[in-house]
Amino acid sequence: MAILTLKDIHKSFRDNVVLNGIDLSVNKGDIIGIVGPSGTGKSTLLRSINLLEKPEQGEITFEDINLPLPLQAKNRKKVTELRKRIGMVFQRFYLFEHKTALQNVMEGLITVQKKSKKEAEKLALEALENVGLKAWRNHYPKHLSGGQQQRVAIARTLAMKPDIILLDEPTSALDPELVTEVLTTIKGIAEQGYTMLLVSHEMDFVNKISSRVIFLDGGRIIEDGTPAEVFRHPKTDRAREFFDKMNKLKEPEFFI
Amino acid sequence: MDTKFSDYFSVKLMWSRIPHLIKKIPITLELAGLAFLVSIVVGLLIAVIRYKKVKILSPIATAFLSLMRGTPMLIQLYVAYYGIPAILRIFNSWGADIDVNLIPKMVYAFFALGLYQAAFTSETFRAALESVDKGEIEAATAMGMTYGQILRRIIVPEALENALPGICNSVIGLVKGTSLASTCGIIEITYQNQILAGRDYRYLEGYVALAIIYWVITIVLEKIFKLIEKRFRIPEQPKAVVETQNA
Repeated sequence: MAILTLKDIHKSFRDNVVLNGIDLSVNKGDIIGIVGPSGTGKSTLLRSINLLEKPEQGEITFEDINLPLPLQAKNRKKVTELRKRIGMVFQRFYLFEHKTALQNVMEGLITVQKKSKKEAEKLALEALENVGLKAWRNHYPKHLSGGQQQRVAIARTLAMKPDIILLDEPTSALDPELVTEVLTTIKGIAEQGYTMLLVSHEMDFVNKISSRVIFLDGGRIIEDGTPAEVFRHPKTDRAREFFDKMNKLKEPEFFI
Repeated sequence: MDTKFSDYFSVKLMWSRIPHLIKKIPITLELAGLAFLVSIVVGLLIAVIRYKKVKILSPIATAFLSLMRGTPMLIQLYVAYYGIPAILRIFNSWGADIDVNLIPKMVYAFFALGLYQAAFTSETFRAALESVDKGEIEAATAMGMTYGQILRRIIVPEALENALPGICNSVIGLVKGTSLASTCGIIEITYQNQILAGRDYRYLEGYVALAIIYWVITIVLEKIFKLIEKRFRIPEQPKAVVETQNA
């Protein structure tokens, strides 16, 4: 059963066509890895799902919410409703700088979900425990490492119990040594049955956790299948070239 | 000839002037306080209009800002002092019935001071609003918060911390600016000094006493703002990790 369907999504920035007719349907429990060269619209696709970018053509259907595009003013409430149920994790974490880790996680529970302070705190602590940072609850973002900040950001999303979690290059802004802890956290969450869409350049990781991989090029989905199908037997030359190049990066002699 | 220092400057006289001047401090503070309120409200309004780039209003706010910053406060006081009654008389000539003399001089003064300061305060606010990370606003948006909620819960609390030093400057500027209100005939501490000095021609002692009073008020205000800033600031050092069995 599809919980999210994108139909013929188009999005341009000025003359630059970034999404050129995206069709995608997401089933409950899917973990979809979105890969492809830079500038092919991976992030824009993710950001179009919760309308942080406003596509000018197409249709988004999420459970009972139907949004024809371009967005009409009368549908603004529906957009807010959709955002409440779809969580997002950003490349640069975007924690609220003047709030502690705990307050960051509580914010959405109180403001959006209208929970009591006591209940919000209980849920927030659970979420922080889930990412292994309960002990750091009174730290401000600037006192946390990049990896810890990203895990708090993940907890902030998890606490809202979203139906879908969008992860936009969650490890790209991290020092290499901090990547593992965040990937481990994401893997843990993936195993809890959340529906996830993940944009990432960590091919091994995408390969490991995804149930389905899509490859974007030129604003279109040109590969769509299981990780084995897409990574090992890509149908298009474009994808094959890209994976070859990525593999070369890993060979030791490349660095000599 | 035997001249003493006290012929030119009598410390004793200076000290004796202070209690007379202090009596008028409430007027000075009232003036500064009311003008501060005007400057905060108008300044925040202008800042949000310019921050959100509101159509039509934004260029008006920018023009107002330019005018207020580009003309001396003293001139603005005179314009308000002579201009507001003139406008009211025009209204009266159209059939309104406003007694121009009933409007206290204070009103002209705190409006002129307040609007002048609002121009500067609005820039403090705007810079503070713009210092808030757009990413945080995006994260809050993605959570499903409305713009009003984001403004209230995220943008304003964060901007406030950055705006505090500027607001402190603005309060101090206003307190000192009230000395110009003496030109509108308001008897605050500066005018009081002129009255007293006019009796014995000891101007220097009076003005030094006056300077000391302004300085002390300013120091007290700075201290108060330091305390407020400290309350808002995120501590440099993290708190201890909370040890629990399963954390």
